[in-house]
Amino acid sequence: MPHAEPVAAVPTDAALIAAWQGGDEQAAAELVRRHARALARFLASAGAPDGDLDDLVQETFIRAFRGVDRFRGQCRFRTWLLTIGGNVLKDAARRARRAKVVPLHEELRATDGDPHERAVAGEAEGRLLAGLGRLSRMQREVFLLRAQQGLAYEEIAAALGTSPGAARVHYHHAVKRLKEYLA
Amino acid sequence: MNEHELEKLAQRLGARAAEQLDVERTAQAVVTRLREAPRVSVVTRLWMQSAWLKVAATVVLLLGTGAVTKALWRPQALAPAGGEAAAAGLNDLSTDQLQQLLEVVDTPADGAAPVYPPDASLDDLTAPQLRELLRSLEG
Repeated sequence: MPHAEPVAAVPTDAALIAAWQGGDEQAAAELVRRHARALARFLASAGAPDGDLDDLVQETFIRAFRGVDRFRGQCRFRTWLLTIGGNVLKDAARRARRAKVVPLHEELRATDGDPHERAVAGEAEGRLLAGLGRLSRMQREVFLLRAQQGLAYEEIAAALGTSPGAARVHYHHAVKRLKEYLA
Repeated sequence: MNEHELEKLAQRLGARAAEQLDVERTAQAVVTRLREAPRVSVVTRLWMQSAWLKVAATVVLLLGTGAVTKALWRPQALAPAGGEAAAAGLNDLSTDQLQQLLEVVDTPADGAAPVYPPDASLDDLTAPQLRELLRSLEG
């Protein structure tokens, strides 16, 4: 049974996790402050609608904190968090499809929505977003974890439960398909 | 667009949406939600799993017992039903028909009724006579 450790000036994620497991709510809040923006970027890139981003970020952290006993340090906490975010997003997309409320492009996001939003986001980014929506979930997540979050294949593989070689193949497939789409 | 450009573009993706996130408000909301619905501890989760296993085992036992009981009850339940059916058939016969039926039943099948002394008991019969009597009784 892990015990609460006093939170140092710059505590590690592991120390904050242990503190949270010991009942320190502020440790959980600090983990949210530390990783929320990276998670939001990942979710937005993976197709989360802007209006749902805050809810999805919250839900991801809630799931992570409730299931933190399953985190064995196989990868960094942030990487583990991002994979949970991917599951949360998938569940949200499934619920949206069932409710038929949000007109989703392909699996996730409408890219032909608000013209102003798209103009702000930039045409190239909008097209990349649309291209990402055409990839399989595994290809999309591997691409984002590698290209956006800068993770090594070993780290990606550990988080997604695959091998580094398979992660590399998924990444190259994703790049190839995105290049074709953006050409 | 080459791979490097693609990666640079991916790094910009979602940045605007992430900047709009109120991190402090999100942190407090998460803490509040965790406080309202406390996480289930490992011990509790294990206890719940074992409780579910017990429930599942009980259901299986009940179903098994039910199936066995049903299988055992069926022959006993059918026997009176068969007797009732036969009785219902006899009830439909008239008195004359019943009399005829009795005569047929009482008459030996081959017509060669064994001859026994009128006052003879089973002890007085010889082995072949006993076998013959048994055969006649068995039909």
